[in-house]
Amino acid sequence: MDDSSNSECNWDFYEELVDDVEENKNIIQCISCGKCVGDCPASKVSNFNVRKVIAKVLRGDKSVLKDSDIWYCYLCERCKRVCPKDNINIPLLIINLRNESFKKGYGPKYNDLRKYVEMSERFLKTGVVLDEPLGEELPAERIEELNEICNFARIKYVFKASKTNKKSKKKIEK
Amino acid sequence: MNTTNLALNLKKIEELYPENPIEFFRDKKLCLFKACLEKYFPGVRYGIEDFLIDLGLNILTCKNQSCCSGTFFQRNLITRAQFGAINERNLSEINNIADILLFSCNGCYNSLIRGREFLNTPDVRNKAQDILNQLKNKIKESNTNNYPGKFEIIEDLKLKLVHDLDFFYLIRNTVVNALKYDLKNMKVAVHYGCHYLNLSRDKDSVDEYIKPKTKLEDLVTLFGGNPVDYQERESCCGWGASQVVIHPKEALKITYNKLKSAENVGADFMVTPCPTCLYTLSKPEYREKMQKWYGEKLDIPTIHLNELIAILRGCEEERCITLRRKTPRIEEIFEIITQ
Repeated sequence: MDDSSNSECNWDFYEELVDDVEENKNIIQCISCGKCVGDCPASKVSNFNVRKVIAKVLRGDKSVLKDSDIWYCYLCERCKRVCPKDNINIPLLIINLRNESFKKGYGPKYNDLRKYVEMSERFLKTGVVLDEPLGEELPAERIEELNEICNFARIKYVFKASKTNKKSKKKIEK
Repeated sequence: MNTTNLALNLKKIEELYPENPIEFFRDKKLCLFKACLEKYFPGVRYGIEDFLIDLGLNILTCKNQSCCSGTFFQRNLITRAQFGAINERNLSEINNIADILLFSCNGCYNSLIRGREFLNTPDVRNKAQDILNQLKNKIKESNTNNYPGKFEIIEDLKLKLVHDLDFFYLIRNTVVNALKYDLKNMKVAVHYGCHYLNLSRDKDSVDEYIKPKTKLEDLVTLFGGNPVDYQERESCCGWGASQVVIHPKEALKITYNKLKSAENVGADFMVTPCPTCLYTLSKPEYREKMQKWYGEKLDIPTIHLNELIAILRGCEEERCITLRRKTPRIEEIFEIITQ
């Protein structure tokens, strides 16, 4: 059952999200038709429900950031395509919500992103995601450019986290 | 700023060259965007590269191109501005050496179009330019191979983007004339992949938005195959921006449903224009997990469109379907086609 009756409506959360990503203002147009849910691959295999996510945001219910549901989105952009409204960018809203969830410490722990630690490491060292690119390798100065662009991004923290993990692992082995 | 018109105008080319659209590309430099997953499926690259070289076109790759970084943006590891800056770096490097950019991967294609669209938001654009300015200041002293305007967001890119599927469809008569074999009426299930099917720019035109996408089916028919309709035709492959890594049981249920639905209608194999989808649909480890979790072994082979065209052109097996990552039973399909 929808728990909308249990929470008071306020616009603070919505305004915060719009402040962060301007396109989020369009979610106010949502008419709750549910086409996004009907066509959503994640909704078929998990509790992820775009209509409910938008409803929670619009009534200022920040519990959506704690829900594991938002981490099930496939970012396939099907919802954006089938939405009868023009500019509601649901995948971007989900990425934004995940970002807020990360900031508040509710998101997956870096340990859950093990695969991404390897991928991030390779990207920052070689400029590609898979270790051995087909053909020529990216020149060193170009890799330096990518590292500069990624300054202060999480991609660098997972990379550093992996180094720390390896060091502590070695210590344990010793 | 022209941020929405990056895609090559296919209709205009058809109008200009109704008989032989390939002529449009004769005096152009064509760059192949290097998709990371081509490492597992080199035939995806060779399939188009060898063909275009045989056609006498001017083909190149950009040694300064990095990964599109879409996967990191989707997992919140870089910001929109950083994603935009990586994107602009790639676009600017390629714009410097080529006129047309071709994509063998839906993910890369979507990343480059989307990264550019993000710049429509002034805040993101300013931040991306700030990042590029910092880069310019830092790199200035290094005296490396830079060219004027390298670190600027280019207002009107001359570079135009086209997906391999759209390109092959545009020059379909040339493709068919180059084939040595045909599909011998085999039943083929097509999988477009979400980031080809769900492009939001389709919404700009009611016509494009409403009409079903059928280019893959049309190509299969032209190649002498029999495209089959199946219930999960438009469903996701299960990759879902790494859902198969994070929530494998749920994601592989989607993969299973897709493959099972195609097997149910008797498809001999499945063709896709995306190496990420191919990876998910074909990886032996995933097939084993699906059997373990959902009780049935699925054998349907899967192949990338570029690999299929290479087989049909009579290329060597090693070059078109790599031994590094073979999809189940694909040798059988190879045998049938090349008999």
